[in-house]
Amino acid sequence: MRKVGVVGVGCSKFGNREVTLQELAFEAVYEALNDAGLTQEEIELSVVGCVGTRTYEFMPAVPVNEYCGFVGKGPIRVEAACATGSAAIYTAYTSIASGIVDLAIAIGVEKMTEVDTATSNAVGGRAGNYLWEFHQYGTTFPAYYAMHASAHMAKFGTTEEQMALVAVKAHRNAAKNPKAHFQKEVTVETVLKSRYIAYPLKLFDCSPISDGSAAAILASEEKIRELNLDAVWIEGVGYSSDTSNMTRRENFVGLKASVQASRMAYKMAKIEDPIKQLDIATVHDCFTIAEIMAYEDLGFCRKGEGGKFAERGESDFGGKIPVNTFGGLKAKGHPLAATGIAMIYEVTKQLREEAGALQVDLKNYRGLTHNVGGTGHFAWVFILKR
Amino acid sequence: MIIESRELPLKHNISVKKTEKYWKGLEEGKIYKTVCKNCGKEYSPPQAECTFCRCETDWVEISGVGVVEAFTTIHTIPKGFEWSEPYTIVIARFGNVRVMGWGKNVKVGDKVRAYTAKDAAGVWKVYLEVV
Repeated sequence: MRKVGVVGVGCSKFGNREVTLQELAFEAVYEALNDAGLTQEEIELSVVGCVGTRTYEFMPAVPVNEYCGFVGKGPIRVEAACATGSAAIYTAYTSIASGIVDLAIAIGVEKMTEVDTATSNAVGGRAGNYLWEFHQYGTTFPAYYAMHASAHMAKFGTTEEQMALVAVKAHRNAAKNPKAHFQKEVTVETVLKSRYIAYPLKLFDCSPISDGSAAAILASEEKIRELNLDAVWIEGVGYSSDTSNMTRRENFVGLKASVQASRMAYKMAKIEDPIKQLDIATVHDCFTIAEIMAYEDLGFCRKGEGGKFAERGESDFGGKIPVNTFGGLKAKGHPLAATGIAMIYEVTKQLREEAGALQVDLKNYRGLTHNVGGTGHFAWVFILKR
Repeated sequence: MIIESRELPLKHNISVKKTEKYWKGLEEGKIYKTVCKNCGKEYSPPQAECTFCRCETDWVEISGVGVVEAFTTIHTIPKGFEWSEPYTIVIARFGNVRVMGWGKNVKVGDKVRAYTAKDAAGVWKVYLEVV
């Protein structure tokens, strides 16, 4: 198996964007090509990630691929709910690691604001098992994480205040990220006073409905040496999944798929103590409780102590491991297929010391991305090293 | 500038022949799980065959008292449920399996019994009531 590196990254501004799906995708592709110093001609394969359930374009890969300049070089379309971006990275990664191509681009793009909120809720609610869950009981997407929050609170005493602190941190970081959906700090009180979306989750516990795109160009070690490219290496890859039906899960206080994906990636990257060996982590905080569970599932703290981990500021700048430094899904925004690649973008920027006001201190020059699809229906972990 | 797409209402005809016993059961006040004839694995929601033994399953009624493991109350109502007030979704454990249903005033750890009824839109479903 060949070594693979990330040689170019791009990310659009997230938010309510007045452009089409393909125009949005091109914003990230354009930046990634410039970042790598490459042209479309040199790229041999394109992978287009798009969940696509809220856009007018039902089969979006071809129009996106054409607009971005990759006709004839794919596209392979991938979908893994909110982890689609990571599935795109994996597809590009394995294509290169196997020796089939030397240069591939992973594109993740989502237009989520083309439909109204009630429709968006009904679409998101289908991210489980439609017939047995949404059809019968109206499980919206926040509902899935809200049920986990209810179990976590009952078992470990996790509080709505602790969850609010995750939102406060996210907004504080996003305020310094010009590409974030929200650039406004919030207080614990604002979060706690916001209206319930799905008890116990309130408006400010939830990531917004955002448009956005991200792209990453991956290359083989040979190509990196040949073109003298600046690479951030993919050291570890982990994936897993879980049942579509919530009733069939092991428990509701964590995501088993996250545990399994992270252990697989840790093994490959020879990580025994993630807190000590990583300088930065992006975790899947579509809801504040999701970030708390991620601290535990990824082994940053013990099961049940995620709330206290947030309370002690361990996931903030200067803490044990800065998490979601660009504002997280929560405040930066969560355009589904873009998210996993935007995480690769963030960790790459951090490891190259290009994160400006949001730069973390680097000791190991190693970072992690953790991307969940649905409610642990999919989980992906990548370890990057400079 | 915005262009509105042409309208495309989507409604699917879902074939539930293999789990018809479950759907008919709801109308008779019965909630079924299935159990593999070979390995004994229990399925809830039910399925007519065991994924791993590749054989048929037996239909067994779920009864007795369950325990609430998770719940939420939906305040942002999705399309398809516009007719409803905020509703509470509950997951409760009954022996080796769990059941999802609508409930009221529950908390994790509460003991519940399951029954079936039509909702305001005429769909038969499971309700979980604190005992």
